[in-house]
Amino acid sequence: MNNDAILQSFRDAFPDLDLEITSLPVDEHVIALPADRVHAAVAILVEQFGIYHLSTITGQDRDENLELFYHFWQGHGLTLRTSLPYDAPVIPTVTDLIPGATFYEREVCEMLDVTFEGHANLEPLFLPDNWEGGAPLRKDFVVPPVEGGLDVDKEAAA
Amino acid sequence: MFEQMTHRAIRWARRKSPWILHFNSGSCNGCDIELVDLLTPRYDVERLGIINEASPRHADILLCTGPVTRQSRDRLVRIYEQMPAPKWVVSLGSCSCSGGVFQGGHNVLGGIDKVLPVDLYIPGCPCRPEAMIDGLVQLLEMIK
Amino acid sequence: MTKVTIPIGPQHPLLKEPLSFLVTVEGERVVDSKMRLGYVHRGIERLCQQRTYVQNVHLMERVCGICSHVHTTTYCQGVEALLGLEVPERGLYLRTLLCELERIHSHLLWLGVLAKNMGFDTIFMYAWRYREIALDIMESLSGGRVSHAVNIIGGVRIDMDAAQVEAVLGQLDELDTHITTLLGVIEHEKTFRVRTQNVGLLSPEQVRRYCVVGPVARASDVDVDLRRDAPYSIYDRLDFKVITHADGDVWARTVVRLLECVESTKLCRQILASLPDGPTSTRAPRKVPAGEVVSRSEAPRGEVIYYIRSNGKDKPARVKVRTPTLPSLLALYDQLRDVNVADISVVLSGVDLCIACADR
Repeated sequence: MNNDAILQSFRDAFPDLDLEITSLPVDEHVIALPADRVHAAVAILVEQFGIYHLSTITGQDRDENLELFYHFWQGHGLTLRTSLPYDAPVIPTVTDLIPGATFYEREVCEMLDVTFEGHANLEPLFLPDNWEGGAPLRKDFVVPPVEGGLDVDKEAAA
Repeated sequence: MFEQMTHRAIRWARRKSPWILHFNSGSCNGCDIELVDLLTPRYDVERLGIINEASPRHADILLCTGPVTRQSRDRLVRIYEQMPAPKWVVSLGSCSCSGGVFQGGHNVLGGIDKVLPVDLYIPGCPCRPEAMIDGLVQLLEMIK
Repeated sequence: MTKVTIPIGPQHPLLKEPLSFLVTVEGERVVDSKMRLGYVHRGIERLCQQRTYVQNVHLMERVCGICSHVHTTTYCQGVEALLGLEVPERGLYLRTLLCELERIHSHLLWLGVLAKNMGFDTIFMYAWRYREIALDIMESLSGGRVSHAVNIIGGVRIDMDAAQVEAVLGQLDELDTHITTLLGVIEHEKTFRVRTQNVGLLSPEQVRRYCVVGPVARASDVDVDLRRDAPYSIYDRLDFKVITHADGDVWARTVVRLLECVESTKLCRQILASLPDGPTSTRAPRKVPAGEVVSRSEAPRGEVIYYIRSNGKDKPARVKVRTPTLPSLLALYDQLRDVNVADISVVLSGVDLCIACADR
């Protein structure tokens, strides 16, 4: 896939943004976008360039905001980076374009408390039933107690 | 007299054909594949009378691998309750003895002795088949 | 006809790992299914942030017991890229040798489990008996059958001398004969073919739609293999074929996996024939400079992707793992539609699920 052609298409579609490609090891290229443009960018990738393989969606808690990566792959890696504020962690889903994103969005939703608008079923995927503890990958997460009075093993010293 | 002989026969039969039920309560799978390896030609525990049973109601020994996760805790207890007495619980691998490398995980409660009474601990990460056979033979001695 | 819901798991003879399926059947046909994951969720991504980079090598080995080496390979590759380390050639060759041996052991394991779930215990016993040869080779190299602890950040901790190379070559010959026997058996054994053909069908469009990877994708004629397309380690110097099959059913997946075993023995021979001299590892500093890396590799089940972020300390700030079973699980809903109840076991086994990998 041709990174320059993709960057040019993005620049044509979002003329108000100043877009750049940075590269990461190992053979990965990153384009940063605001959250409301991600769906349109994925639509360009899927419809114009035929890129269908979404490896995964990574989410992480940077101290000022939440960050999401959409890792695509076709020949080499292309990642779309976006960030969401803590008080409004909402982003439109991409499952209408790539159904394979279903589980990845569910995982980011339960681990970081991000809402994907338009997702058919945002139930917890890995966390247990009756989980009341909050989002495990957030910085302010504390391991909740177990009902039945069992003591949870102490965490490794941070 | 007749009762005594019947009891001796039952105890002999119990020792000579311990049927196991394998439950994975959150393991990485390493101990499980070594456990299934016991049934294959190289280790062949069927010569000890051990077969892998499908239903808790048929089994004598519960072989449990993996740390107890919050999700699998109720199912583990339910399976234990469904097994008819006399029953024994063997904790296979370091994770089910103590939580192993996963101690402190937000979904991990620890070893299975937090929810069940364990009769035998077989450590190892993963547990070698020879260690499992040794452990099971010791358990059979205990049953005597 | 009324609909009946059958629960499969978490404790079930079919499943080696806890996974809950609620299958709705109407008569003998499956109409719907619902899946519950999370029984094996140990929160590894969060645990990684509380342990140092070196401790994490041991933790990532235990994400999955079957594909443990490839997880540590991808992790160490990522951290080495962050550190800017150049792993010595001999270390890379030995790392790749174990990757291929692990592929063989994983595929033979899968074949045995599929056969057992079909009721074909003979193939189960034979496949696992031949798998012991691969485990013996790995044990003679590393000391462990299933969990090898071979990878360190900066290379590998093992080495081989000429006598070991000779012995391993002999064992590889033995493995080759046995894999050829197994291929012959599944080719000619009508009961095997009848139970696996036209079961669990996935079209190439479905594979692309759900982003399925690995042998399941290659068995539906989607030609993608990261060892050839994005070569990591020394795969750019090795010569091998990528096996694809057009049928898209469980039979195609069996053929693809067994032929991949044959290619893996060829790769092992190439590696041993061209093993360079030199050290097997280089020293790695404790603190990793700030940065991000995306590392990919081809596990026995498909593409493994790791995202690692460092903030300059000796513990990672974020480690994200996505294993190949997760998209395969998504594709299972389609595969379980409109099959007979008796075929559920073949469909579930044909995908080669590794729930420990998926749940992390």
